[in-house]
Parts: sequence; structure tokens; C-alpha cells
Amino acid sequence: MAPSQKNVLEVRNIQTFIGQFHILDGVSVEVPDGSITVLLGRNGAGKTTTLKSILGLTPPRSGAIVFNGKEIQGEPAFRTAAKGIGYVPEHRAIFRDLSVAENLRIAERKSGDLARREEFIFGLFPDLKRLIKLPGGNLSGGQQQMLAVARALVPDNQLLLIDEPSEGLAPVVIEQMMEAISRLSAHTTILLVEQNFIMASRLADRYTIIETGRSVKSGMMADLIDDEASIQRYLGAAA
Amino acid sequence: MTSFIRRNRTLLLIIAIVIVIFGGTIRTMEPKVWVSIMLSGLTLASLYFLVASGLSLIFGLMDVLNFAHGVLFVLGAYVGLSTFLNPRLFFNTLPVFFMLIAAVMMAQHLGRAFWPHVNSKRRQHLANIVLLLAAGSILYLALRGFPIRALNAFNITAVGGAVTTANAQEPMAMMFRRLLLVALAGVPIGILLSPRERQEEVPLRPIWQTALISGSAAVIGIVLLLVRDTGEIWMLALSPDFRFLLAIIMGTIAGALGGVAIETGLIRPFYGNPVTQLVLTLGLSIAGIDLIEAVFGEEANPPMPPPTLFGQSCRSDTFINWFSEHCQSVDVLGRAFPTYRLFIIVVGVVVFAAVGLMLRRTRLGMIIRAGVQDSEMVQALGINVRRIFTLVFALGSGLAAMGGVIAAPYLGVFPGMGAIFQLQAFIAVVIGGMGSFIGAAVGTIILGMARAFGDHFVAAGIHLPFLDAVVKGSPAIARASTVLIMALVLLIKPSGIFGKKE
Repeated sequence: MAPSQKNVLEVRNIQTFIGQFHILDGVSVEVPDGSITVLLGRNGAGKTTTLKSILGLTPPRSGAIVFNGKEIQGEPAFRTAAKGIGYVPEHRAIFRDLSVAENLRIAERKSGDLARREEFIFGLFPDLKRLIKLPGGNLSGGQQQMLAVARALVPDNQLLLIDEPSEGLAPVVIEQMMEAISRLSAHTTILLVEQNFIMASRLADRYTIIETGRSVKSGMMADLIDDEASIQRYLGAAA
Repeated sequence: MTSFIRRNRTLLLIIAIVIVIFGGTIRTMEPKVWVSIMLSGLTLASLYFLVASGLSLIFGLMDVLNFAHGVLFVLGAYVGLSTFLNPRLFFNTLPVFFMLIAAVMMAQHLGRAFWPHVNSKRRQHLANIVLLLAAGSILYLALRGFPIRALNAFNITAVGGAVTTANAQEPMAMMFRRLLLVALAGVPIGILLSPRERQEEVPLRPIWQTALISGSAAVIGIVLLLVRDTGEIWMLALSPDFRFLLAIIMGTIAGALGGVAIETGLIRPFYGNPVTQLVLTLGLSIAGIDLIEAVFGEEANPPMPPPTLFGQSCRSDTFINWFSEHCQSVDVLGRAFPTYRLFIIVVGVVVFAAVGLMLRRTRLGMIIRAGVQDSEMVQALGINVRRIFTLVFALGSGLAAMGGVIAAPYLGVFPGMGAIFQLQAFIAVVIGGMGSFIGAAVGTIILGMARAFGDHFVAAGIHLPFLDAVVKGSPAIARASTVLIMALVLLIKPSGIFGKKE
């Protein structure tokens, strides 16, 4: 807990309701600068809602969210995002009717963002370059996932929230995705949700386990890998 | 084969409808007849389109079915008619609006100083009620006895020519008293509307900018009032064509402002609660017409005379000749067709092209298209979707109001004129596919054609091919044809021809 390393994001004890349902009941997460932190937990534990709460898409009722030393809880999502948080949602949310180029251009916050980042993005995902004119809806699942990550890279984001990048992808594509994310982490801080424990353990520096809406355990990924008991207890046979 | 049909059902559906309409009618008709029927159909389609495009955009982006869209059409028609024939109304009412807006804008800065002192939820609640009551009662005092009905009384004397208005202007001193009270009423409204979130995060214009903008609004208002007599004479001396253009602009602006008022007042507090929004707009569709009747009178006005550009009583032989003669009708394959209706078609096409280009080529259009699919993701990219919502609502409402203005010379102006257009626009949007702009255009063309050919079918009947019989329809069939087409389309493709949303 000693703040030897600066935290880009600190989530403290947030409570989130969706309609009548109490989804998050005390989630705390710390994301140190330059790290990859992964949220682990069973289906329906509240990992996706945690990401959405950070962004303000499902605003928490109480608790604190501090980004770059500033309290951002209660802000509308567009303002939070504009402070430098990129979001790669579950199911990718590619704009089907927009071309790949438009899908990237819409993420610009200042004109010229895309031109500045183009080389970096196409270096990471060379496939996208040749698909640039196609409608987003015509892309395969893996290509859409790449586009979703690329879209989050267009503006200057200090933190990326990436939700299940391996979901529904072929093993070869998962491998590519992991490669891309680990290369990304040299440039930006990442908070990841990942069900695939093998992928999560290879990528992440830190972890936080969420169980039924509560963060129950967090620490260094290296320690968790050897902790068979915790893996069994919180993540079940999936590991 | 089946997969081919399924993949291309959009195209096949359009072709099928076209074949049915044309095949059933054209082969036994002279070209000059069906060309003029088609032009009549396009005239209707153009007006339907102006209403339907906004409905479709608003539904696509916000999932709001705006039942009050027809009210905006009527509002446009009345504002257009008044601008065209009765500028006195505007010289006496616009200053009031300008003053109100100026005061509200200024008072928002006051609100920023006010709200931080109201820290508990209960006190905020109390403050809301007190401010609302204050605003209401001062506004009542300000507008009590305002001779709006008398200002509205006018007679149309000649085609696009001079008009007489009832002499109902209030003395200048009285008007200034009203302006003062209205400005006072703007203060609590502005405080009510000012943001209450954390101060440093909500960027508001610097105070000098607000002062400049609202100051000039107030000055414009006062100047308009001061020059009301000469202004009226000057306006009426303008060429009717120019006044008609002015009418279109004023009507569109009024519609857009009405749209902003509806969105911010009725829709915005209830996003995520579609039933409430639906009921509110439905309620407004009734109350709005009553309000228009209260302001503009409930009796039908005679059709507004078309501008002189389409008003000379003659018949041009060709379109080229019309440019020099400005005749009211033009020869189309030997039949006279009113040039004003061609103008309506042109407006529809121009609006279609302009909005289509905006959607395809601009960043705003890109955001709208993205928002139609997933507005949450657009928000997550750092884009203020709510502002886009308001903008699109303004755009859609403005287009509907513009439709009202250009429909005025064709239909006449009466409080019920919007209902039928709203209904047809709804049907067109359902046929074309909810949320699709192209769909709205195609849907309205299908409906316009169906209506025009249906009417012909009722009036003249159709020679059945290979038989010697003439079948005549009943007027009910012509009216029902649009609903029949809708049912047919929905059976084949439940989301509409271009629909993507379920």
C-alpha cells in the first residue's frame, strides 16, 4: 500500500447500482503508472461494471475514483474519457456503418490526432491498413478487436480500459492480441479484464480479484501464479 | 436461391413495389397522365420527407418517438405565414423573446454564484420551487393582457401583395414595461438552468462574452421595438419572394428553437425512460396544437399566396420559359402542372442532398451515424452525446417546420394540418426503416406515389390489363393503401426496408 509508485488510477470502495440491482458493493483497485493491472473473477462478478463505473457510464453512488490525482467520480462519461481514458468495451462496439478510417477518425479529440498516431497504430496492427476503406461491420471478430484497440490509441490516452480482448477469438488471433497489448504497455497504463487466466498471467503485472461485486484480493501477478489455493478458491477450475 | 433472396430483399422489395405501382397503372395510362400523377406524388413525398427525416434521425439517435413532430410542422406554417403577411406580429413579439434570452443567459452566471450556497438537497428543492414560482408569476405579470390575438388578425388582400392588419399595437411605454418585467422573469429562469455540478469542471463562457452576446440580443430586441412602424412598412414593401425566403428561414428557426425547448425540457430529464418520453410528447402533441390555436387563432387561414416567383397567372411552355415568366403553372407533356409544387419537390431534393452530405462528409454526420448504432460508445470516446442529441433534435424539428412553411401555400394553414403529415411520416419511417435517413426518403416516395396513384385510381379508375373493365376504387382504398403497404413491408422485413435496428 505504500505509494512508492505513482498510481494513475485509484478506485476506492465504489458502490454501483444498475436500476434496483446492487452490482458493485465495495470495489477498490489501484493501477500504478506504466503497469498492466488485470481484474479477475467469475462471470457476473462485476468486472465490466467496474470499468464502466470508472468511465462514468454506470456512475457509482458512492466511493471515490481518482485519476491522475484528480477526483473524477460523478463526472459524465464524455468528460472522464476526454481527460485521457480510452475504452475498449466487451463485444468491441465497432461502428458497423462507419468505415475503418472513420472508426478511427471519430476518436480524435484534436484534429491531427490520427495523423500523429497513424504510424504507431498501423505498426501494431498492420492488417488495419489494408482494410481502411471497408465498413467496420464487414470485419472479422479479430479485426474488429484490433480496430477497437486501435480506436482507443488515436487520442493521447494515459489509461486504457480493455474488456475481454480475447473473447471469441481464434487462438492465433489471441496470440497477436497479447503481443499487441504487451507492446502497448510500454506506452500507456492498462487496466484489463480477462477471463483467460493464462493470457492474464502472462500479460499483467498486478491483479485484483472481484467476487460478487467486492474486491477481495489484490497484489502482484507473480505471487498469484504460485498461489494455487487462491486461484482455486476465487477463479475456480477456469485456471 | 433462397439465400440470394434473403440477402437482397431490400432491393427486391423496392423493385416489387415499383413494379406493382407502375405495372398496374402505367400500361393503360397515357404518359402525360402518369407523369403528372408522379409529380403530384413527389410533391407529397417531399413534404412527408421533411417531417419524416427528422423523426427518423431523432428516433435513430435517441430512441425517442417524437409525437410532437406534427406540432412543429404547424408551428412552422404559422410562423411562416405571419412573417410573410404580418410582420407586425414579429416586431411586437420578437423583442420579448430577445429580452428573455438575454436575461436568462446573464442570470446563468448569477446561478453559478448562487448554487454553491445552497448545499443541502432539501434546500435545493426548496430553491427550485421558489424560483419556478417567481419565474411563473413575473412572466404572468409581464405578459398579462398582451394583445396577441389582435396582432394576429390580418386579411390577405392580394396574391403576395399588401395586407391590412388590425391596429392593435400597444403603446411603446407599455411595451417597455413588459420588456422590463420579462427581463426580470429571466433571472430566476437563468438561475434554474445554470449548472449545479462542481464549479471548476463545468466550463461556462467567460462573463464578458456572455455580456456581449446577451447585451446585443437585448439591444436588437429594443431596436426592433423602436423601429416597429417603419420596419413593418419596409418589410411589406420588400419583394414577396424575398419575404417568402424570410418566412422559410423564420419558420425553420422557430421550429429548431421549439425542438431545443422540447428536448431540453421534456426529453432530456427522462433518457432511459422511453415510456415517459412517449407520453410527454404525446401530451405535447395535443397541448401544443391548443397553444398554437391560443396564439394564432383556431380558424383556418386561406392558403398563403405563393410568392410571385410562382404566382403569375399564365402557363409556361417549358421550364426554361418559367425562369423569365414566373408562371404559376408549366406545361408537362401537354398538361398544366403548378410550378409551386415543382418548387416543393426541389426543396425536398435539396434538403435530402444537404442532410445526406452532412451525414456522409462531416464530422458531425459521422458522430450522428455512429450514435445511431451505439451512443454509449460515442460518449466513451469523449464526445458530448447529449449536445449532439439537442443539435439533431433542433435539426429534425427545423426541417419539419420548414415543411410546414412550404406546405402553407399548397395546403392552407390550419391547426390540424400537422396531424395527417405526422401520421404519414410515421408510416414512411416504419416502411423505410427506423433510424435510416435513406429509408425515410424511400419510404416517403413510396407513400407519396401510393397516395397520388391511389387518388387517381379513385377518380378515374384503372383499365385492367387484358380485360375490358374499368375498376374504380373507393376513397377509403386510397387512404388505406399506405397502411397496406406498411403491413406488406413489415411482413417481409420487420425492421423496414433499410432498417437495422430491431
